[in-house]
Amino acid sequence: MKSIRSVTAAGLVAGLALLLAACGSSNSSSGSTSSSSSGTSSSASAALSTGGYKSPLTEALTGKTGGTLTVLQEIDFEHLDPGIAYFSVDYAVVFATQRPLYSQKPNGTTATPDMAEGMPEITNGGKTVTVQLKQGIHFSPPVNREVTSEDVAYAIERGANPNVANPYIQSYFKAIEGMPTATGGPIKGIETPNKHEIVFHLSEPKGQLVADALVLPLTAAVPKEYAEKFDKHKPSNYADFQVATGPYMLKNDTEGKVLGIGYVPGKSATLVRNPKWNPKTDYRPAYLNEIDIKIGGTSAVIGRQVLEGTDIVQNESAVAQSAVRLAAEKYKSQLQISPGAGAHYIGVNNKVGPFKNVDVRKALWAALDRQAMDKARGGELVTTVATHFIYPTINGFAQAGGVKGPQGSQFDFNAYPEGNMKVAEKYLKLAGYPSGKYTGNETITVVGSTGSPQEQDAEIVEQTLKSLGFTVKFTLVEASTMYAKYCNVPKEEITVCPSVAWIADFADPQTVLNITFNGTTIVPTGNVNWSQTNVPKINAAMAAAENVVGNEARAKAWAKIDEELVEDAAAVPFDWDKQAGIEGSGVNGVGDLWDVGEWDYSYTSLK
Amino acid sequence: MSAGVTEVLPTGGGSLEFLDVGGDIAARSPLQLFWRRFRQDRVALISLGFIVFLIIIAIAAPLVVSILGLPGPYVQNLNLTDSFGSPLGPTAAHPFGVDQLGEDVMSRVIYGTRVSLEVGMIGTSISTVIGVVVGMLAGFYRGWVDMLLSRFMDIVLSIPILLLGIGLGAACAVRGCVKGVVQPGVTTIIFIICIATWPYVARIVRGLVLSMREREFVEASRALGASDMRIMFREILPNLTAPIIVYASLLIPTNILLEAALSFLGVGVRPPTASWGAMIAQAAPIFNTAWWFMVFPGIALVLTVLAFNLLGDGLQDALNPRNAR
Repeated sequence: MKSIRSVTAAGLVAGLALLLAACGSSNSSSGSTSSSSSGTSSSASAALSTGGYKSPLTEALTGKTGGTLTVLQEIDFEHLDPGIAYFSVDYAVVFATQRPLYSQKPNGTTATPDMAEGMPEITNGGKTVTVQLKQGIHFSPPVNREVTSEDVAYAIERGANPNVANPYIQSYFKAIEGMPTATGGPIKGIETPNKHEIVFHLSEPKGQLVADALVLPLTAAVPKEYAEKFDKHKPSNYADFQVATGPYMLKNDTEGKVLGIGYVPGKSATLVRNPKWNPKTDYRPAYLNEIDIKIGGTSAVIGRQVLEGTDIVQNESAVAQSAVRLAAEKYKSQLQISPGAGAHYIGVNNKVGPFKNVDVRKALWAALDRQAMDKARGGELVTTVATHFIYPTINGFAQAGGVKGPQGSQFDFNAYPEGNMKVAEKYLKLAGYPSGKYTGNETITVVGSTGSPQEQDAEIVEQTLKSLGFTVKFTLVEASTMYAKYCNVPKEEITVCPSVAWIADFADPQTVLNITFNGTTIVPTGNVNWSQTNVPKINAAMAAAENVVGNEARAKAWAKIDEELVEDAAAVPFDWDKQAGIEGSGVNGVGDLWDVGEWDYSYTSLK
Repeated sequence: MSAGVTEVLPTGGGSLEFLDVGGDIAARSPLQLFWRRFRQDRVALISLGFIVFLIIIAIAAPLVVSILGLPGPYVQNLNLTDSFGSPLGPTAAHPFGVDQLGEDVMSRVIYGTRVSLEVGMIGTSISTVIGVVVGMLAGFYRGWVDMLLSRFMDIVLSIPILLLGIGLGAACAVRGCVKGVVQPGVTTIIFIICIATWPYVARIVRGLVLSMREREFVEASRALGASDMRIMFREILPNLTAPIIVYASLLIPTNILLEAALSFLGVGVRPPTASWGAMIAQAAPIFNTAWWFMVFPGIALVLTVLAFNLLGDGLQDALNPRNAR
């Protein structure tokens, strides 16, 4: 799982954002076999509370057909190619224009057949996954023809093409025979017995993980005869000529060219109805006639414009705090809060420096005022104090202890969200510092990121470290620099990365814990095991849990690992995010729970 | 012995008439002459007073904060933010309000004075010294030395200061630069200022030295066998004092603004150190709801820069009356 990319705090950088989870979803697909198992406890409900504001869990999915929605967003898209897209803001467009094998309804996190006819069949002891495709799904102009299983096979194969370089293919599809050495050509383990059936043959019994990952946009069909020439470019420019299978398509010309027409980088994107979309094959209502996306401006200003506007929404990875407050105070009905929008924690270097000692790590955990950190991030409206790593809406959250986290005297360091210096002193004494303060002579290096609220996170952590007696070398750099140059590079030996964020690719707990805490995933660059946690016992437990089949069983297995990570104080979680969304007074906005609350253009309508 | 000062007054017939105005003849030193002219410039005097006040505030910041009954600049108190995490406005206990971490803005503005003056004065001093030495060498020796140094100045001057600052600020951010000699934060800013601003001083000094080296007193020194170093630093340099002081006084506010700009852009002085530029940057996203967080450090920055600029103008007028406005 080396290629999953990190996400920055508050979604400044890329992330991805498929949040599948199970808990609390009251509208999950009846056809789904990925039923949730995490969300029925009262503590899980508390974590899903949105303070009376509307949320993807409660919003109505009905609407009026017609009209043009204007979307304002501060930042540009990263990738609109379904084979590359890996960012929540991109997903808003990609999932309106493309249909993967499976997808999720806005208010749920369970997989729903999309291009697939039914749920995947996992056979052969978890080593074969078979999917039947619906008939009557067509590509948009200029391709126009019906989608076949070969188009899905090509879509996945091209993900391994270096010119496309899908960021998660080796994380979730590596078990497919031939995938580890694939470079874009046919893959031995992907078979298409007929036009509407695709079979994945796996070298390991990881059928459940592969089946769950079929919700990712990589599985959206791509017509080989049309896309191959674009994929020969380095990097592939298929995005500029892409065709759609979803209810909308990026506006294009007769040749299929999108660039400069339906998408002007840094300026705008225009989605129009896909004339070849057959509503009988799709569960999406697709109320809107057109979506005009305008790129640029600043989040706070956009927020105000949207709140005072009518047929308009704001699409951001993180809406400015001031706009959220304005909405909460004056435009309550225009504010949506989406729980389960990721987790933030402090990466503490388990490998070198004073935090090699588990008791020193526990001391930091105990001393940290997590409530204060969450308040600085915008308060209870957009945060919940984190007590462990599997976050709300992810399968296994309740089994891992829900809101309260794991219980027992051995977890006393986790019992004080407001921080407790006495408990911290106890652990420092256990670590060999009799005064209850760190008296070692190592200066620790803290590298945080600029911008609010990460800057505030970092400052609170710095003060906490000083209060524990540490001498701190404290620096703030751009978020991308923090990750790419320091926190993602073990050789830099950064002691503390005060605010790192993770958003799951889908609701399976493996996507939250494995790459971020498995010692075998540590790599020289692009490393997202920020704490460099490498505990043989935990690594072995993860290896075993990877092969567990069935959501309930997986939830239990990974919740146990979560508990072990807490006991090891592998990192210090402090926030489970809730994402705010802002809409105009004339919009019936529907956000996607699985996409950190980003607006779903296939469900949003005008009043 | 005459009992008074005699002034020469023109008469209507074109001849000169000597008038005894009384009093002792008193020779005035250049400093006295300067002060006599300078004190007539009230704006400059007020500016000087304000700068002295700032220096006192900067030196005695902990005492001032204590006397005012304010919490320290690094005391975080999230109870002073509302349920949305927005800071609360000015109150009797916190006259300038608080920031997102509940830190007292007035306390941080006071401590921010230290950074601004430190960067402004130390940075300017070092770059002025470098500029004077290089300018003297270039102007005095002329020829290939002048060509080499002047072209080097041209190269440095062609580098956009802000971009250089952003680049160096980022490069020195964590481990520092020059094998750790340049540490992140204030030291890096001073380093950037020194690199970027010495050529301005050097160019002015070079021009002045080029004309001064031909003057009689330099010829006289040379005839008496004075060494080049002595001529440069004992004969010429004292005559450059006025323009150097004037230019340095105008460079200080420029450097204060550069520090603020770099801190605003996130590559200057880093939190939790209080810096006006960094405070303004932190305040920008929440200006709608917490105006005080931007306004007070902004006012402090404007007044300080204004004071140094007005003082510089006053010094120029007083030290070089021929160019008086």
